[in-house]
Amino acid sequence: METELEIARRAVELAVAAGADQAEATCTAVQRFSTEARDREVAKLEQSRAQNLTLRIFVRGAKATFSTTDPSPAGLENFTREAVAAARFVESDEYGGLPEETGIAASDASLGMFSDDIAARSAGAKIGDALELESIARATDPRVVNSNGSRVSDTSLRLALVNSNGFAGQYRSTVASLNATPIAQDGAAKWSGSYGAAARSYGALEAVGAVASKAAHRALGMIGARKPATMRCPVLFERDVASNVFADVFASVSAANVASGNTFLAGSVGSRIGSDLVTIVDDGLLPLGLGSSPFDAEGVPAQRTVVMENGTLRTFLYDTYHGRKLGHASTGNAAGGSVGASNFYLEPGTASLFELIASTERGVLVTETIGFSVEWVTGTYSRGARGYMIENGALAYPIDEFTIAGNLGGMLAAVDAVANDLVFDQAIVAPSFRVAEMTISGGS
Amino acid sequence: MRAPDAAALERVLSRALGAGDYADAFYERRVTRSFRLQEGGVRDATIVVSCGVGIRVVSGERTGYAHTADLSESALLETARVAALIAKDGRASGPIRLGPQPDAAPRIDAASEPQLLRPESATYVDLLARTDVAARAADPRVRGVNAVLFDELQEVVIATSEGRYVADRRPLVTFGVQCVAQGKERGNGFAGGGGRTNLDFYLSRTPEDFAREAARIALVNCDAIEAPAGELEVVVGAGSGGVLLHEAVGHGLEGDFNRQGTSLYSGRIGERVASELVTIYDDGDLPGERGSLAVDDEGTPGGHKVLVENGVLRGYMHDRLNASAMGTASTGSGRRQSYQSMPLPRMCNTYMPSGGSTYEEIVGSVRRGIFAASFAGGQVEISKGDFVFMLAEGYLIENGKLGAPVRGASLTGNGPDVMNRVAMVGNDGRFAGGYYTCGKGGQYVPVGVGMPTVKLSRVTVGGSALGN
Repeated sequence: METELEIARRAVELAVAAGADQAEATCTAVQRFSTEARDREVAKLEQSRAQNLTLRIFVRGAKATFSTTDPSPAGLENFTREAVAAARFVESDEYGGLPEETGIAASDASLGMFSDDIAARSAGAKIGDALELESIARATDPRVVNSNGSRVSDTSLRLALVNSNGFAGQYRSTVASLNATPIAQDGAAKWSGSYGAAARSYGALEAVGAVASKAAHRALGMIGARKPATMRCPVLFERDVASNVFADVFASVSAANVASGNTFLAGSVGSRIGSDLVTIVDDGLLPLGLGSSPFDAEGVPAQRTVVMENGTLRTFLYDTYHGRKLGHASTGNAAGGSVGASNFYLEPGTASLFELIASTERGVLVTETIGFSVEWVTGTYSRGARGYMIENGALAYPIDEFTIAGNLGGMLAAVDAVANDLVFDQAIVAPSFRVAEMTISGGS
Repeated sequence: MRAPDAAALERVLSRALGAGDYADAFYERRVTRSFRLQEGGVRDATIVVSCGVGIRVVSGERTGYAHTADLSESALLETARVAALIAKDGRASGPIRLGPQPDAAPRIDAASEPQLLRPESATYVDLLARTDVAARAADPRVRGVNAVLFDELQEVVIATSEGRYVADRRPLVTFGVQCVAQGKERGNGFAGGGGRTNLDFYLSRTPEDFAREAARIALVNCDAIEAPAGELEVVVGAGSGGVLLHEAVGHGLEGDFNRQGTSLYSGRIGERVASELVTIYDDGDLPGERGSLAVDDEGTPGGHKVLVENGVLRGYMHDRLNASAMGTASTGSGRRQSYQSMPLPRMCNTYMPSGGSTYEEIVGSVRRGIFAASFAGGQVEISKGDFVFMLAEGYLIENGKLGAPVRGASLTGNGPDVMNRVAMVGNDGRFAGGYYTCGKGGQYVPVGVGMPTVKLSRVTVGGSALGN
């Protein structure tokens, strides 16, 4: 059978023969395992292998993309010709085209991207883990009576990237993950909780017992939650939701959004945006990071970029196209035809989340957000939330059915404490942190 | 690649069923063409092809699933073997015989490569170029125009161990335009639409219409003030207000959550769950609507479903698995993102029929509140029923009249709680422009939503401005 590298080479040759000035092919092979348990039963078992080929072609700088689940010669030929023909209708673009040739220093091995324990662990053991997530969550407390299931899943990826400038690279990567979603019931009311972990290997994952117990406590903790009063107060974001806030921050520093004027940070490089405590890094070379890889989606070497340093915005994050357009080198952040994060994170502080809570007289700890309202052009931020009221430096009672609102720029400027609990369990992460003041909208 | 023929599917399903109770095969070939307008030019042409077969084996409440893009019989048989690993203790089966493909569903001629709707690239490019011209001509303050046009054809063939053998052909066009305007502040506006039709749709709803609408909203938002915080009366606009039904009620009525007993609506059929002004339907059989299907992804016709009638809960939405576990029939609500995913019970087009009040009466009745003209989307938590939905265009209402526009805010509440506060229902029911996509369990499917203008007596508005 053809390797992914051979398929990618064949696709590039085909595109050039069909009239493309430049071509780039990415071929992936993904092997996936996923199982879900509910109560004492296995509910689902999914196993698959799938190949995909994505071909980017340029004709006089004009771009067309073709992606298929069928990279066989028959599957490629007609569509590649159609893509070349379609590119002739696309505006030619002086900034379009492949990146300049560069050398790649890192490898999947040096970045710890691949583990043999994904393939070595038996399906029976993975199913056993899913059943154990369920039983431990339910054993935590008699009020944990139900669940939306516990899942164990893993993927193994092989990727090859070839372009007509002579670049050819490949890597392998693996990810294993656990997730539990128990439900606590008190009378007729039900509260769900969810907690998960992900890592490059099963060996590096948080223990099954810890994941199940944290998920159960998230559900149990919300029992009796009430709507808080509408007020302004300090807001603490627990680690998981802190990461969600930084996904919004990432979008604001993506050069794709800068180029289209779709971010409140456009034109702000060199300006003071955050408080002293806000240092943001994007590091594609972080060992074991889930966002690490030797090169990005167009073959540019991954790198470490300081995006914000003690509150001052140092740079946006670029792929080749937006870099050329905005007069900046690529930062190795090409992904999916645009700009993506590698390991994008807020530098942790030294205090624990417990110490942050203890130093908050009166405020709100947000443990879950719902919805996705950020108006990028102004940074207006508003989200549904759940969490706890903090009174006199301690968690007083659970609260729900409220929103938190502010402005993303204003929130970064008002960060007055950052915790030490950073975990690299996805590409965009942040430790728990506190914003000095936001608006809580709840009852009257 | 063509769908496997009936004889091959029979052999594959026999292997899959093994010791299970039920097996099915889902063949999909989907081709999506899209063009993207950015900064005054069409920058990107994209073709995405997805083709393969997913095989499912059900044994009791266990489901095994595997898929392949290799459609050779040997690969299909191996995929069937992997899907069947989960089966235990079921009955051993004899050979499976598929029935004839019924005429009700569109047939696919297996002898010829399916002919796609294939407009020339120039047609797409022309529609997008007109969008750019119209948006910029609408007002000199319009600084940025982005637009995207998707044209998709999904062809499916479904064969089951019970002998069902059907095909469906599902076109889908989607157009969206976003404008950024610079006034006192920057403002953002979005408009779009489409459905299960072809590019001729844009002869009647022209790109110029959408462009001017997006420009109008962007200009409104340039002057927007901070939204208030706290509980207020809220008037939800006709059309995209249907997001409220989808989030606050619809997801909680999906069969899986109710079989598992994890929804707050579990075991409550026949109970009062909303104000008596509230009736909610889901329908997979509305011609041209974005969420419509001749048959669902398990081959069951998906017609008109009464979910809530005059405030009383009437029924859930079921796929085959959850329906049979609850001793009832599928409602044709089994949907999947692609052949790589197993079906889940999902909504198609969810809407509330018109009531008796006029828009003017409804807005005129509000002393101080918010008019939520349109929504960007929403999200719900199933067990307690708390939902959030996000404003795309909104205004203050003061003494029965629309006031200043307000900046993007979330509205939040509890599903049944808010549905009990439906105080007036307008006579202007309509569907939102066809561009909503619903996510569940990591799978995304196109849906429709619709609603008349509705007044909610109290909802938490998540702005940042405190006041009285």
